[in-house]
Amino acid sequence: METIDSHDLLVIGGGPAGLSAALESSKHGVKTAIIEERITLGGQIFKRLGVGFKDSSASSLGKDYARGAELISGIEKSNVEVFESTQVVSIEDSLVYTTHPSFGTRAFKFKNLIITPGAYDRPVVFPGWTLPGVMTAGAVQTLVKTQQLSPGKKILFAGSGPLALAFSAQLLELGAPVYKVLESSHPPKSSEILRLTAAIPGNWNLISDAIRYRSILLKKSVPFKYRRIVVKAEGQGRVESVTHCKVDQDWRPIAGTEKVESVDLLCVGYGFFPSHELFRFLGCSFIYDENQGGFKVEKDQWGQTSLPAIFAAGDGTGVTGSYSAIAQGALAGLRVAFLYGNLSELQLRDLATSYIRELSNRNKFQKALNHMFDVRPGIYELASDETIVCRCESVKKSDIDSVIESSADISVVKAYTRAGMGLCQGRNCQRQIAAMISKRYHLPFSEIAFATPRFPIKPVEIGLIADGSIRDEKYFINEK
Amino acid sequence: MKSNVLAGYLSHEQNSEELPKSVDVLIIGGGLLGTSLAYYLSKEKTEVLLLERDEINREASGTNAGSFHFQIALHQLTPDMTDSERVRLSAEVKLQVEAAKLWDGIEAELDADLGVHFDGGFMVAETQEELQVLGDKERIENEAGLESYILTGAEMHKFAPFLAQDLAGVAFCPREGHANPLLVGPTYAFRALENGAKIRTHCTVESVEVLEKSSPGSVGFRFRVKTSKGEVLCNRVVNAAGAWTMELAKQVGLNLPMGLSGLHVNVTEPSEYFLKSMIQHIGRRLTLKQTPNNTFIIGGGWPAKYEAYPKRYSNLWSSTAGNLAVALRVLPMLKDVKLMRTWSGVWAYTKDFKPILGESRKVPGYHVAMVPTGFTLGPMVAQLLANYMTSRDGSSELPKEFSVDREI
Ligand SMILES: Cc1cc2nc3c(=O)[nH]c(=O)nc-3n(C[C@H](O)[C@H](O)[C@H](O)COP(=O)(O)OP(=O)(O)OC[C@H]3O[C@@H](n4cnc5c(N)ncnc54)[C@H](O)[C@@H]3O)c2cc1C
Ligand SMILES: Cc1cc2nc3c(=O)[nH]c(=O)nc-3n(C[C@H](O)[C@H](O)[C@H](O)COP(=O)(O)OP(=O)(O)OC[C@H]3O[C@@H](n4cnc5c(N)ncnc54)[C@H](O)[C@@H]3O)c2cc1C
Repeated sequence: METIDSHDLLVIGGGPAGLSAALESSKHGVKTAIIEERITLGGQIFKRLGVGFKDSSASSLGKDYARGAELISGIEKSNVEVFESTQVVSIEDSLVYTTHPSFGTRAFKFKNLIITPGAYDRPVVFPGWTLPGVMTAGAVQTLVKTQQLSPGKKILFAGSGPLALAFSAQLLELGAPVYKVLESSHPPKSSEILRLTAAIPGNWNLISDAIRYRSILLKKSVPFKYRRIVVKAEGQGRVESVTHCKVDQDWRPIAGTEKVESVDLLCVGYGFFPSHELFRFLGCSFIYDENQGGFKVEKDQWGQTSLPAIFAAGDGTGVTGSYSAIAQGALAGLRVAFLYGNLSELQLRDLATSYIRELSNRNKFQKALNHMFDVRPGIYELASDETIVCRCESVKKSDIDSVIESSADISVVKAYTRAGMGLCQGRNCQRQIAAMISKRYHLPFSEIAFATPRFPIKPVEIGLIADGSIRDEKYFINEK
Repeated sequence: MKSNVLAGYLSHEQNSEELPKSVDVLIIGGGLLGTSLAYYLSKEKTEVLLLERDEINREASGTNAGSFHFQIALHQLTPDMTDSERVRLSAEVKLQVEAAKLWDGIEAELDADLGVHFDGGFMVAETQEELQVLGDKERIENEAGLESYILTGAEMHKFAPFLAQDLAGVAFCPREGHANPLLVGPTYAFRALENGAKIRTHCTVESVEVLEKSSPGSVGFRFRVKTSKGEVLCNRVVNAAGAWTMELAKQVGLNLPMGLSGLHVNVTEPSEYFLKSMIQHIGRRLTLKQTPNNTFIIGGGWPAKYEAYPKRYSNLWSSTAGNLAVALRVLPMLKDVKLMRTWSGVWAYTKDFKPILGESRKVPGYHVAMVPTGFTLGPMVAQLLANYMTSRDGSSELPKEFSVDREI
């Protein structure tokens, strides 16, 4: 195993937050490396074209793409050392353990760590959610953005929040035939619009994005239906029809309002969950906020977590979008430069001002939006007894319910049913199970602990880890 | 195939009911020892209360690798063995042969599918020196009534083509196997409950006080047990607290010859099924098996790092990297299979590797039930202890070398 000890700061994740953190820290003299598991930098939003695709339609790929290209070229011109295709699998005693398909395990020594792992699509469990042809918004977007390929001919989009609007409009622009959008929240009330308008200063770019997205839907005559939620997907071997329902204010379906439509693709976009595995693994403190994706790591305005030398930024610390991610990353990067004595307190404050203002504007706006698109408990109650909750291990809801009768402990559910033991390691089912427990025992969600975090953070080939130079002490008891 | 009885398991409400004021036997610990003892005692109509501070089966009994270690365990072998060691090992193998019989019948006894498989076990030798040790081991086992035989060269390749071609040899013991550790303890608990045993979870035993006949409020009971949920009087206590047995026994003045060690376990993604038998290594730390879910569980005694309860011991990267290298050395085809997760458990052992089982002479009424290879031997020693505790005529004495009061 190779040990690399040449950086003062390691940034995990090369999305908007990580790129901006590395740019700021290196600009102020901190020896910085980025570790990114994908083959290219850019993260979720600046997904770059797949190999062999030409960058002919930068405009349809959106402003995001251009912003991303700018950050990435900034990094290319900087002293930041970039390690791509390098996956962080564990952290132990000042070493970040990574694997690479050709280099195997490499351990990076760190003095400071900024962790920016991003977020993933919120899984929503309803009858039929595991059928082929039911895809998350992120997955559809990736296909469309990187392969320029539409996975369906008649796409129903079901989701909530500003991203539902953004995603469906983007998909349309890129040529994916979305024919209807369902939003589970109510249409904005005038008080909410007022609140939002009050938060507009400093957020005009977001508003103008929203207006542009809405007008794309209008131009293509794609109906946008408020207060409807998907309740069922059906089909022989793949999705053929989708049932949706009107919902009450808690997003619980109202009987008698079902509507069945035939589609060949259901795109589901109810928001994101932060990837908090690394933070849980390290033992950082957490707080709970359903609208930002549930459990999120606790941090101060610089991104400092409850643990020394561990910083956090971006959607992996609570989902607030790419503009915030960039500002958060920058603040963490500056802070580390300050800790190295490369910036005075005054310089730090000075350089941070614009980012802090940016974040505070975003937060105001975010709060107003959350008010409108508050995630309601009905989202966790769509499954029927027969619905598979853990898709890796094919565990039905009724089997999980029967264990919950005996224990309010997720680990017990896991032990008896195997729910959460599969390849995704509970990323897709733990929250759903926690919600079931919360309902049965009237416990707040935030009190239901997930299973003990362990490495590897993501599954990895044995051949990349095994190290024959590590010997066990011999095992004979009487050995001299 | 029997069904999984755990659907419709103990109800939470029942587990959290108030404690009884008094009971005949109070068991501390809801691991495999405690739950199986509760079952065997309640089957004989003994009044039992089992207290577990967390959930049933969450410590060693729910974190172990589920192997039946019938072959002589590697840590018990020495390169140059004395006769007295041979005698000791031979006695142990006989115990293991008894345990195998219990496992044969356990699914029928408990009327449940517990994933019990007897598909044999390999013990590989990498070097000629190790092969020599395998020979010694085979002799002791065969004499004690456990079948095992050694294969080398072409014979070995034909029998086990998946093993690395350049191993010196391999022993095969057809009786070995495994069961699902996540199900065995809870199923015992469930059946004990059906027999009338009481079980309370999330109830920590804080202290055990020995009462004199004349103690105020003793009303004839020998012990007052203080818990996080109140007090209970009882005639007999069984300390089955696994890694915490020693700590509790100190409260009544007993010094048990025990040690603790954190162990590391790896599990892979599911992969095409081909490995029916478990694999161990005679000279290095390895146990490797493929489960009915097609995952590989790889362990064998690599260390995990101490953390104070209730935090779980943390896994060490060096243990994973080293353990997996031994696995690849023996089974090269695992190279592209993905490691999915690791975990740890606290293993309690005795300094002479024998069980601590029975009633203390120093503190009459105080019993201890602990055994190092507790998955393999747990139910059987629990049954021995239950026989002792329910026989009125003293006809089922326990082996002296298991004595609670012995000094090492
Ligand atoms: C699927 C999806 C689509 C989105 N689409 C849009 C959109 O169209 N418009 C919009 O405004 N916002 C969109 N968002 C939101 C936006 O992408 C995020 O706000 C922004 O990308 C957050 O930046 P980040 O740096 O925090 O995370 P990310 O951009 O996700 O970057 C995190 C990076 O960390 C890497 N990483 C994670 N774990 C490890 C590890 N263990 N080892 C090594 N590397 C690791 C990841 O590969 C990734 O590159 C989308 C979000 C998602 C999840
Ligand atoms: C990683 C690992 C792998 C192993 N592999 C194997 C194997 O393959 N084969 C094999 O035969 N053996 C194996 N073992 C050993 C085996 O698991 C143990 O010997 C056996 O499970 C011990 O059972 P137990 O009931 O004594 O202890 P435990 O299962 O630890 O149960 C003790 C219980 O007591 C409870 N408790 C403690 N203190 C209190 C208190 N004050 N009040 C109330 N409750 C309390 C604990 O919470 C716990 O639930 C392994 C062990 C480990 C850790």
